[in-house]
Amino acid sequence: MPEINTILSRDSYLLYAELRLFWLVAFVYGMSFALFIIHGATRQSAPGKIGRMLLWLAVSLHIALIVLRTLEAGRAPFQTLYESLSWFACSAALTYLYVSGKWEDIHLPGGIVSGISLGACLYALLARSPAVEPLAPALQSYWFEWHVALAFFSYAVFVVSASIEAICLIVMPFVKRGRRVYGLTINAVDELQTLAHKLVLLGFPLLTFAVLSGAAWANEAWGRYWSWDPKETWSLITWTVFAVYLHSKTIPAMKGLPASVFNLIGFVCMMMTFLGVNWLAKLLGIPSLHVYAV
Amino acid sequence: MTYDRKNILALTSIMAAFQKAKDLKVLRWVYRRLASITTSVYVLLATAFLYLIGTIFPQGGNYSEYAKTGGRFVWAVDAFELLDFFTSPLFLVCAFILLANLVVCAYDRYPMIFSKGPYPAEFKPTHTFFLTHDIADAHGEVRGILRADLGFKLISKDGSWIVMERGLPYKLLTWLYHLGIIALFLGFILTYLFAFEDKLTLWPGKSNSVAPSVTGRVQYLLGMKPSRGDWVLILDEFMTEYHRSPKLDYPKDKFSRLATGLGWNPPAYILEGETLFPKDWKSAVRVMQGIRMLDQKVIEVNDPMKFGGYTFYQEGFEQRLSVRIDSNPIPLIVKTNEDVYIPGLDHAIRFDTLRNGKLFKLNGETEEIKPYTEIKAAAKDVSGKYEDAGAIAAGGSIQMGGKRITLSDFEEGAVISYRYDPGVPLLWASGIFVLAAMTLRLWGSWHILAYRIDDNDGMVFLDIYVASKGLLADAEKLVKRLEYHLTRYDLKPAQMPPA
Repeated sequence: MPEINTILSRDSYLLYAELRLFWLVAFVYGMSFALFIIHGATRQSAPGKIGRMLLWLAVSLHIALIVLRTLEAGRAPFQTLYESLSWFACSAALTYLYVSGKWEDIHLPGGIVSGISLGACLYALLARSPAVEPLAPALQSYWFEWHVALAFFSYAVFVVSASIEAICLIVMPFVKRGRRVYGLTINAVDELQTLAHKLVLLGFPLLTFAVLSGAAWANEAWGRYWSWDPKETWSLITWTVFAVYLHSKTIPAMKGLPASVFNLIGFVCMMMTFLGVNWLAKLLGIPSLHVYAV
Repeated sequence: MTYDRKNILALTSIMAAFQKAKDLKVLRWVYRRLASITTSVYVLLATAFLYLIGTIFPQGGNYSEYAKTGGRFVWAVDAFELLDFFTSPLFLVCAFILLANLVVCAYDRYPMIFSKGPYPAEFKPTHTFFLTHDIADAHGEVRGILRADLGFKLISKDGSWIVMERGLPYKLLTWLYHLGIIALFLGFILTYLFAFEDKLTLWPGKSNSVAPSVTGRVQYLLGMKPSRGDWVLILDEFMTEYHRSPKLDYPKDKFSRLATGLGWNPPAYILEGETLFPKDWKSAVRVMQGIRMLDQKVIEVNDPMKFGGYTFYQEGFEQRLSVRIDSNPIPLIVKTNEDVYIPGLDHAIRFDTLRNGKLFKLNGETEEIKPYTEIKAAAKDVSGKYEDAGAIAAGGSIQMGGKRITLSDFEEGAVISYRYDPGVPLLWASGIFVLAAMTLRLWGSWHILAYRIDDNDGMVFLDIYVASKGLLADAEKLVKRLEYHLTRYDLKPAQMPPA
């Protein structure tokens, strides 16, 4: 058996390496974000392309970081908020890179996605504890990995969808007048909005699984499948708003601007479920069963 | 008189008929509104807004407490029952409208599942191919490719276009997952009407019958008392397990953290005192009827026991300590984490959770913890704070304010909550059903393909119209596959002749 002091030294060293790598990842996300902003300001194609390459580099390093954290903790790396933020940043950027793989010279949504990933990394690094903690009894369940992993996959998909939708809304007034903005024409914007819709179609069953599996897990752990806990309720709000978005896409009078607005509200609700609900519960002094996620 | 009476009767029946027609008109209007997806959008938005209100006010809170602590929305909290919002009339009415909308939509769309289409009588071609065969041959060949090579089924050949489809039955799946959501609602309603829960504390070796002090809403209204089973629960053993968890020495301020990223201030894990982190709580329980054992299980968090219509959950534990003061032969029985007043001491003391059970060390070794507890003394001021006053092991003593306090014995009991909820099986089944049908509908693929073959001055053309639903459906890929098969069967020239 290794000495406990040896283990502590090893774990401290690994955490140190992890933190330095995480800062490097945040720096590369920051560089990528800055280049996307330059692309937005100058309308030059080159900064966008380099920004995208840097985003690939950041994601590659981030995947290595998550593997390191998994080895360090000996479990799936999304127990604490520090870990969840890291997972969220990486999965959002990776989903964006996959989705935008075939785009030619469209880089604006990348600015939003890299900005969100950078923000998540900085929040984790500056405000959360990076300590590897053992799993609390309530988290020791076969639901843990599936529930959290698929919920975060849906979040990643919604982030990319909202980024595309936001850019479409911004450029729409210009391209409607027949102008070509950042390489986007009215047809390209229509295609991007179809893609944003498809992403929600991809994410919605995942979110449904997250809500249902969360209820099934709560039933096993706490003896009640639904407690109207703030986190549970916000997940239901998010699900409902995306249901509104999907229904509005089938109504001719609502499939344009109203649907786009619903998609963005869905994104805001998703961020509330992930982060805002902890802040809200703290602000209003509402007890939450999901305290381990804080 | 008879004439008047006849007139009145006639007038009344005319009024009744008019009213009936009016009622039917109103009913028809209500039906039309409830069958509309636009209504669904508005009702869903209203529901989302009500959910949001429920997250702003602490649910289960006490109204007078809220008013006393200076809550700013006292009138609204009182009027709309905002502290118990999810069972308030306002919320229930909204939930009922949503359910009615779902039911009417499902009923209204039922005939559409079996209908062909809807598709237009005349299609706008999305692709056109030049064919080498004559029109009579081409019809048979194209149909053969679409059926045998691409898996399409004929829907209609009555119009000028021949319509075919392939893939998952998207209309049926859409209908089914909405039906599943209705079943989920029914599960919630069963829970709301019939479910109840209570808890009991099991002490080792002592038998406890399950006699709930509460009951479900319907049972309460019908005056039915919860039945007391003729079986009892016996706790054989309660077990606790802990990890030894190191603390992380890591700066909290942002600049120091940035410095860590740049190579300064390396973080360090340290073992400071006995930092124990709970790993598991387990209760070995037997269900006995007289001397006959009906069931047994080790109940853990995330692993409840089901018996007699109830589900039993490991909720927590209670500890009773036997404490002797000086040489007093009668021990004081105290609960952990509660204030204890000892004669002769001018402040309350508190025994922390007694640590007992198995310890999992960082190096993988395990050891039995020698039972101990920490004593905290209440501060002499009114701050409500407690100060560490030392630790005491089982059988050991501590000196406090001239008093000798001895921990002579202890006992651990399992707090078990139990619940009767007839809604859960329906929720399980309908949840899986909704998820499966929704995933197949949104991700699966469905294509509709309409084609016509025209002869224009001896040139034969194939016009096709393709539309699709579902993420995995790729209309362009399908057209490419059709083109490939047309070329393979020599229906389409590999290259167009020069103009």
